[in-house]
Amino acid sequence: MSEPILRLENVHFQYQREGEETVQALKGVELTVEPGEYVVILGHNGSGKSTLAKHLNALLVPTEGDVWVNGWNTRDRDRLQSIRSTVGMVFQSPDNQIVATVVEEDVAFGPENLGLPHEEIVRRVDWALDVVGMSEFRHRPPHRLSGGQKQRVAIAGMLAMRPQVLVLDESTAMLDPIGRQEVLELAHRLNREEGVTIVAITHFMEEAVDADRIVIMADGRIQLEGSPREVFIRTEALQALHMEPPLVTRLALTLRQINPQFPGDLLTLDELTAALKAHWRGNAPVLLDARKVDSSPQGAIIRYEDVGRYYMRGTPLEVKAIEHVNMHVSRGEILGVIGHTGSGKSTIIQHANALIRPHEGRVLVFDKDTRDEKTDARALRRRVGLVFQQPERQLFERFVGDDVAFGPRNLGLSREEVRERVRRAMAVVGLGFDEFKDRMTFSLSGGEMRRVALAGILALEPEVLVLDEPTAGLDPEGRAQLIERLLSWREQGETLVMVSHNMDNLAELADRLYVIARGTVLAEGAPEEIFAQVARLQEEGLNAPVVTQVMQSLASEGLLPPEATHIHRFDEAVHLLGGMI
Amino acid sequence: MEDFELLRNVTIGQYIPTGSIIHRLDPRAKILAASFLILAISFTPSILANFLMMAVILVIAWLARIEFRYLLRGFLLGLPILIFIFVTQFLFMGRVEPAGHVFFQLGWFRITQRSLYIIILSGLRLISFVFLTSLITMTATTTELTHGVEHLLRPFRRVGVPSHELALIIMVALRFVPTLAEEMEDIMKAQASRGADIGGRRMWRPDRAAKAYLPLIVPLFLNAFRRAEELIYAMEARGYVGGGGRTHFIQLKSRGLDYVVVLAAFLVMLLMWFIPWPSIFGIFF
Repeated sequence: MSEPILRLENVHFQYQREGEETVQALKGVELTVEPGEYVVILGHNGSGKSTLAKHLNALLVPTEGDVWVNGWNTRDRDRLQSIRSTVGMVFQSPDNQIVATVVEEDVAFGPENLGLPHEEIVRRVDWALDVVGMSEFRHRPPHRLSGGQKQRVAIAGMLAMRPQVLVLDESTAMLDPIGRQEVLELAHRLNREEGVTIVAITHFMEEAVDADRIVIMADGRIQLEGSPREVFIRTEALQALHMEPPLVTRLALTLRQINPQFPGDLLTLDELTAALKAHWRGNAPVLLDARKVDSSPQGAIIRYEDVGRYYMRGTPLEVKAIEHVNMHVSRGEILGVIGHTGSGKSTIIQHANALIRPHEGRVLVFDKDTRDEKTDARALRRRVGLVFQQPERQLFERFVGDDVAFGPRNLGLSREEVRERVRRAMAVVGLGFDEFKDRMTFSLSGGEMRRVALAGILALEPEVLVLDEPTAGLDPEGRAQLIERLLSWREQGETLVMVSHNMDNLAELADRLYVIARGTVLAEGAPEEIFAQVARLQEEGLNAPVVTQVMQSLASEGLLPPEATHIHRFDEAVHLLGGMI
Repeated sequence: MEDFELLRNVTIGQYIPTGSIIHRLDPRAKILAASFLILAISFTPSILANFLMMAVILVIAWLARIEFRYLLRGFLLGLPILIFIFVTQFLFMGRVEPAGHVFFQLGWFRITQRSLYIIILSGLRLISFVFLTSLITMTATTTELTHGVEHLLRPFRRVGVPSHELALIIMVALRFVPTLAEEMEDIMKAQASRGADIGGRRMWRPDRAAKAYLPLIVPLFLNAFRRAEELIYAMEARGYVGGGGRTHFIQLKSRGLDYVVVLAAFLVMLLMWFIPWPSIFGIFF
């Protein structure tokens, strides 16, 4: 084997947070990466994985130990430009790494810094834009691109420096499934065709399936290392790290508990279907979930009637954001709203609490027309709690308790009542009042901050809770906790509207679904009816949940009756398949 | 309060892409020529010259194929300032000595030959300024202007003018205007969802107003700082170590026409400076 391209020897890193004690981010990391490898580093927030990434191109230098890039020590400041052009790095936020106001100029930024001759820069910009498939957008301003496109521009900016290694530091975390797909496919293609070594840091287990090697970090150390197949079957070790293998593997492992003959180290849908086929024995009856919520537009608490709205109305840039939207929300149901970024789903749900009002049609919230001058918008907002995407970004008070109390205080409640509401809301999201109320808001973890933000809305004690991508950007642990919370609300009969592009989450939670595309409602119905239309969903770049896909391929093999495709929840699938093998 | 739509997609200075001969000029030529014309307007004492300048500007607009109503729109934006200046000058300029012939007097207020001259001259100058600056933004993108300024200042690097850094600062600021506008819109909506009364009652007490805006300002700044920090990492990762030793992707090429334009603007400037005071306005002077 050739010389490793990256070599980390006993890397320690500690830093001093302002006014706080020293933080040991890395505690002796040993890692080598060979040229051409595809390595995925997994870990929770605070595991040290992003700190590790920043060591790979000398953005950080270890406080103890050494990092060698292509044989150069990252401490060697004279080698800085060589190291930086050998190891390219793409970051999490698509917005915060684009410097220029025009795409091609941004791609040129790196080569310019390297002091390359003009003709060479032009050649590299052309090439890099071509590789990432963004040539036709080269004269666009970056803010007119989608998240996935921005990340491709960022990757092109790195490629133009001709790196041998590309580090993706959670580059997919803030993208929707289409954007994520774009970036992942590009990374794999670069790895295969251009021989670029990839080090991808991520929260998503699913992204690790195709990797050569997985490295799992926790507490500043490497805890597990090996091929995906080796790592994912180590259930206990993963559990101890609060991690879950991908859904397919999880299903296989659960079935293995029922039938020890069944293989657990399955990574893809095809492998799972094949294994099920090989172990198929009997025909247990297909039982479907009995929970049915009666939902009709009559008596609905929120009703959209042929709603349309323009963006930038009255300017030359006017575009229609949504049109002919007909929807309703009934009391006690969990409504899922599926759609991509830019489909108009955020515009639609912001009508639900009169943040924006329709230009056409009308929205009735608790039988009040939101366009009516007499309608008190603030009163409606109290009854319909809307939680934005990444709500922790809107926190502003120093102390947790004050931030949660912001809403109730705006209602003009008494001190005692405010306190009581804050206590209740914090309990609902699983933050102890006495433990957390005096904590500094901005010293909390991402998952905790999200729960504080959620509590801030719950403290208004709304009758309907509308959540826009509640799990986006959270690490697996935060995600799992939040989903658990939502599932328990489902049991309690709360009214929830959940906007998401995560089909697997919606499959577990929703009673009824709306599919939004191109500014209007494409389909409406029970999850089993919606998910059954896989082909139509795929046209919109959406996918059926993994469980439905498994059922579908088994049904198409003739192993299961067609009605089995109505199964979309994990537990139901385990129950059914467990009886079959 | 009606909706929270901020100017997310409105770029600073309305660029109007007509692809005219003016648009295709080297941005350096545009900046230099415009500077000469501004100097011409600023220092000519002649009212006739100012009228001629107006004509020159209209010819440029015609060449740039920019409709007159767009120019007027910029003028309307500047109108409040023009009116303010006109009113103050009308009231107080009469006191300026030497006054020349006094046309009208009422107590301390008077209209003199000198004051009329100053009022008319400054009015014409301001109108020309507004027209000229809007012509620049209509015919050159902000990116072009940034590059133009950087290239023009580059020779002064040796004496310590940070031309590249200045250009980069402008570029990054422009780049983040739409991003932060979007961010602000989200924060406003989110806080309104938490019961904040945003844009509701007008608040005349600054302390209360400040308090009411805290839920908007604090997250906006925190997020902006976070963005800045990430941007620094991203720039460093791309080998950015400052302006020294950088090469340039954008190479501005000037053609013969660019030199002609700059020279013409220079000559116009000289011409304007030396036009004699016109006799047709002899009644005033």
